[in-house]
Amino acid sequence: MNLALLEASGFRNLSGSLSGQPGLNFLWGQNGQGKTSWLEAIAILGSTKSFRTHHLSETVTFGGQAAHLTAEVHRRSRVEKLEIHLEGSQKHLFINSKRVSVGDFLGHLDSFLYSREEMAIVRGEPGERRRFMDRGVLSLKPGYVQILADYNRTLKQKNALLKTVGEDGTRPPQFNDLLDVWNVQMVEHGTAIHRARTEYVNQLNQVLDARLFGNETVTVRYQSSLEGRGDLANYAKLITERLQVRREAEIAAGHALIGPHRDDLEILADGKDVAKFGSSGQQRSALLVLELAQLNLYHRHFDEYPLFLLDDIDAELDRDRIRTLLDHLEGQVQVFVTTSKKTLAEEYTGRAALSQIVSGQALTAVLIEN
Amino acid sequence: MSEFAEPIAKLIDEFKRLPGIGHKSAQRLAFHILRTTSEDVERLAAALRDVKERITFCSTCHNMTDVDPCRYCTNPNRDQKLLCVVEEAHNLLAVERTGEYRGLYHVLHGALSPMRGIGPDDLKIRSLLERLRTLEVEEIILATNPTTEGEATANYVGRLLKPLGIKVTRIAMGLPVGSDLEYADEVTMHKAMTYRHEI
Ligand SMILES: [Zn+2]
Repeated sequence: MNLALLEASGFRNLSGSLSGQPGLNFLWGQNGQGKTSWLEAIAILGSTKSFRTHHLSETVTFGGQAAHLTAEVHRRSRVEKLEIHLEGSQKHLFINSKRVSVGDFLGHLDSFLYSREEMAIVRGEPGERRRFMDRGVLSLKPGYVQILADYNRTLKQKNALLKTVGEDGTRPPQFNDLLDVWNVQMVEHGTAIHRARTEYVNQLNQVLDARLFGNETVTVRYQSSLEGRGDLANYAKLITERLQVRREAEIAAGHALIGPHRDDLEILADGKDVAKFGSSGQQRSALLVLELAQLNLYHRHFDEYPLFLLDDIDAELDRDRIRTLLDHLEGQVQVFVTTSKKTLAEEYTGRAALSQIVSGQALTAVLIEN
Repeated sequence: MSEFAEPIAKLIDEFKRLPGIGHKSAQRLAFHILRTTSEDVERLAAALRDVKERITFCSTCHNMTDVDPCRYCTNPNRDQKLLCVVEEAHNLLAVERTGEYRGLYHVLHGALSPMRGIGPDDLKIRSLLERLRTLEVEEIILATNPTTEGEATANYVGRLLKPLGIKVTRIAMGLPVGSDLEYADEVTMHKAMTYRHEI
């Protein structure tokens, strides 16, 4: 899929339009001019969510009433017009001027993002890596959203039940039966999550370009919190057993101790945990290798590439890595890159479409004309 | 913004207490009432009073009714060997609309939810067990909503019923997960009833 044209009004400080070409697109400009906001607009048109805020209403220009984003997307021989209208807490979605539901809107302009914040996937808490895997599964199987919602809901209900146990250990009537009932669903939804994530991690390993940036080989491994406790191949049986064995411990703790909400993803360079033993350069390389693997899996699944958004690329990566990365992507994936370094953009003159971002406006072809 | 005259402000406040009605809608409704004839307003007020005075819950199955016991409980043509358990009275209507089910009902008035402090004693579960002592039921169909709360409730009730030696089935097929039975279309609901499975 390719984004050919993006129009923004009432959205942050943006105005006018940004045109895209298949391949590389540079957005160059000083800080605070709105480069990242254009990437944000692309991401919102694809996912109806922002990577900068949980509240889309915050993206409406300060003092304004509404924001409107329009994208012209080329997919194979088809042209689609995607629109989002944000007003108050409402969001209205349109495809080819016809109002559609969120479910129908998704999947028409998928994108993956690489930014400073994404480094948390490598360096941050296990929750960051669980979200990375879940986003990956979701990009291939949108129905997974229901499994996640059911699991999280069950987890909350179970935790609420465990909190009804008194300080002195007194249990409300029927407590044991009720705990059984919620555990049944912990097993059901937990097993579905474990299966989806392990399958996804296996597929990532198959497609990742392990030595793209250097000599170390990057691999990933799903780390179940039930590892070493029995046969993971029969997860439903294993988690059922563990819920039984750890029952009293869960009651004493007052929250759920067993389940895939405690799992993690190991990111390894030459078999060693890159978060612990890797240099920051190796960590960035590993993350990029994973992001690229996600693009490849998406391509294998849908026979087309999603967009790749690289925010503030030179703040994150050295020139060698940038060159390796962009060479690798060129000709396959439509990429939108933001940078504050004019020299970097100049290096790609003739190969990339270049827009200079000034006060939220995208001015085209400033450098290419030189 | 200047204040509305007190009677209007009061009416707006009352409307705002209704589910799904925000300030704007409440205002619109209040001004609509203001424009309608006295007869229309009388009829609306009478309907509101009537529903409160005449509609109660059946003391047997806890469905909404204007006679107690309700018509489902007293109708001799209904199959006394089948009993369908639902969360709310409007779910009963969804099952009824399929036109396929001719048995008895039991309305639980909710689903288990520790987060909202709703336990078994807050639902009409005890009265279900009491009913089964006198009824000659051969199959109980658990038609709670396909949400995590509905599943947990079906599972819990199923466990209580198991020792009684009655066949217990759960509707499942074709229902959009995480949804409410109220919105299931008739075809889906019909399939769900037909392909129910034993638990
Ligand atoms: Zn009744």
